[in-house]
Amino acid sequence: MLFNSLDFAIFLPIVFLLYWFVANKNYHQQNVLVLVASYYFYGSWDYRFLFLLIFSTLLDYFTGLKMGEAKTLASKRFWFWLSVTVNLGFLGVFKYYNFFISSAAEGLSLFGLQVNYWTLQVILPVGISFYTFHGLSYVIDIYYDRIKAEKNFIDYAVFVSFFPLLVAGPIERATHLLPQLKKERQFNYTKAVDGLRQILWGLFKKIVIADNCASYANSIFNDYDQYSGSTLVLGAVFFAFQIYCDFSGYSDIALGTARLFGIELLRNFAFPYFSRDIAEFWRRWHISLSSWFRDYLYIPLGGSKGGTWQKVRNTFIIFLVSGFWHGANWTFIVWGFLNALYFMPLLLTKQSRVNMETVAQGKYLPTIRELLAMGITFALTLIAWIFFRAESLTHAFGYISGIFSSSLFTIPRFPELTGAAMTLMLVAFFVIFEWFGRERQFAISHLLLNSNRVFRWGFYAFLLFMIGMFMHTEETPFIYFQF
Amino acid sequence: MKKFLLNILLFLGCSVVFYAVMICLWGDFGPAILRKNLQDYRGSYGHTYSRIQDAKRAKDIDILFLGSSHTYRGFDPRIFASYGYKIFNLGSSSQTPMQTELLLTRYLDTISPKIVVYEVYPETFTLDGVESSLDIISNDDNDLLSLKMALAVNNIKVYNTLLYSYYRDFTKNDDNFVEDPKKNMDYYIPNGYVERQLTYYRKEEYPKSELVFKDDQFDSFKRILKMMKDRNIKVIFVQAPITPMRYQSYTNNDVFDADMKQFGPYYNFNTILHLDDSLHFYDSDHLNSVGVGLFNQKLVQVLKDNNELSPLQSALQPK
Repeated sequence: MLFNSLDFAIFLPIVFLLYWFVANKNYHQQNVLVLVASYYFYGSWDYRFLFLLIFSTLLDYFTGLKMGEAKTLASKRFWFWLSVTVNLGFLGVFKYYNFFISSAAEGLSLFGLQVNYWTLQVILPVGISFYTFHGLSYVIDIYYDRIKAEKNFIDYAVFVSFFPLLVAGPIERATHLLPQLKKERQFNYTKAVDGLRQILWGLFKKIVIADNCASYANSIFNDYDQYSGSTLVLGAVFFAFQIYCDFSGYSDIALGTARLFGIELLRNFAFPYFSRDIAEFWRRWHISLSSWFRDYLYIPLGGSKGGTWQKVRNTFIIFLVSGFWHGANWTFIVWGFLNALYFMPLLLTKQSRVNMETVAQGKYLPTIRELLAMGITFALTLIAWIFFRAESLTHAFGYISGIFSSSLFTIPRFPELTGAAMTLMLVAFFVIFEWFGRERQFAISHLLLNSNRVFRWGFYAFLLFMIGMFMHTEETPFIYFQF
Repeated sequence: MKKFLLNILLFLGCSVVFYAVMICLWGDFGPAILRKNLQDYRGSYGHTYSRIQDAKRAKDIDILFLGSSHTYRGFDPRIFASYGYKIFNLGSSSQTPMQTELLLTRYLDTISPKIVVYEVYPETFTLDGVESSLDIISNDDNDLLSLKMALAVNNIKVYNTLLYSYYRDFTKNDDNFVEDPKKNMDYYIPNGYVERQLTYYRKEEYPKSELVFKDDQFDSFKRILKMMKDRNIKVIFVQAPITPMRYQSYTNNDVFDADMKQFGPYYNFNTILHLDDSLHFYDSDHLNSVGVGLFNQKLVQVLKDNNELSPLQSALQPK
């Protein structure tokens, strides 16, 4: 079931009404309802993988209990490693098996050794990377005594499978979400309205901006050798907005939906394209994943303590692992590597924490210097996105070499120029709203909030009209479902 | 909570009104580049407007032709008239059975043909029907049948265009509209035919593909056949020729042929008549005027040889 589908438009109000009117006696009933709804939500994609989700939940729940009960460190360690190994094992089989086996065979073929190997024809279960990381953070936190093991299975199962975040995050922490699931929830009018506002903005981002950009990005990336350098740049720009609006649109809908149920999820995006350097970009892009890697990988590796060599090594490790987390393809690894490279000058000159505040805070416009810094950062991410979007490294390098040709300075040309021009206008409309809302939780969270209801509702109705007039007419899955 | 639910209902109600007003304003004043999901096809390619106006006045028709652009570009009333048959061509661009059903519900009793020749182009059974819905909604008066069709097609473009067309029908905005019979290389011939100036086609290869048919199109198709049966009208199924290169690119033509034979007399002119890609077509699947001549002559001959036109002869017999 997709957030941008009619099925979800029916599912959400039903669950919402049952939650506040039928299962409202206590939070236990609400959690049972949410669990059933979440399993239905997941099962509607493919019920067979529901068993995998339930198994993963049971595994982490029981290993968590066993770690809590363990009398010795060795016993605790045993249950910890059992959980980590099985979780990563599943991820390895479903997501990475084919990549490892084919990469190994190709590597051996370089030395003249031909190996007959077999690959698995498996479908990647939606959300496996997300719920596995939920479970891992839970067992790691128990292992390091940051939290106590959860005794109530239903509460734990809701933590793992809460439907707004189940298939593409944000990647929650037990320390943040579990306490919310274990207390009575009161309906809060302001928060619920804010949630609806965020859902509306998320839908606009996904089905108007992302899906329209996708059709042009796809046609340019698929036939990149037919296009001029300037058109290829435009293709990369379309992809940059596609991926941002697709994923942050999903996150907005997830956060807004959770708010309707009285739950606050972790923020995932904070206007990353207004970043002045790559470090700031990574503090604003997919925040829940970046902070997961920071807390569970970077800091245990020593973080920024120690010598320069250790900092450099740790930075490369987290970016490479982050790239690999996205998918079993060398393109993602190069994408991670490139971001680590971008990070190096900031790390070595100790400039990585210079831009901690929102750009041009309290002002309408940025300074020339800020504008330039944002432009350079965007250009760097654009080059990295080419690797992220490309089918293979050959594709990515071909695309980049196509950009840096004499045709870079020509007028972009490709079929359906009118449609592309319309999409660029929509992107400009969107960027203006994002800019003026950049100091808020999401772009329109406080827009017209103090105005007359007619203006406020008129604006929301206008957004609905924009969706109806410009939406992509085919239901398109969210990009991050494949991760 | 009560306030929340009431406000949502109120907001949704206001939004529906706002949306409808905006569609009308946007359709009238919005720049074409910003009308992505509002496609007013009135008077666009295919002369659907002129054809529908003719359909409202059609009388004493012997043969009614149904189908896609293959129909309105493939059956020339002047050739059939030379054989003594009065025909009407109710085809339209990308017309799928869903739209054929709507047009027949509106005009079958007016046209009241003795025989129906249904041009069954397999690809029309694979389409969602959006293009053709937009064409018909824009060029005909709209009623509840249009809404029923829009719900069946279920596409935002169709809903928006229908809303805008209702508004134009209501305000009689198009009452003075006159469609030019000549558009670029097309010329409209009364009773539904569109003649294309003689142009030739450069051969092209097509990748192999399998046609994937939609169940809802076959459901509409079966309802059309019931409509004919209820009125005791004979139906003959025909597949008009397309370029051999194009035809051979479909890997499951035989499956479609077998399906069609179940429904009644069926003639696939891709196998009966052998035409040349370049000489007899102006694009991959439309005949040029030479091709139409050859195809129509062969069709009359085949139908006569197989005694398919007997309802016309018996109608002429003194009682």
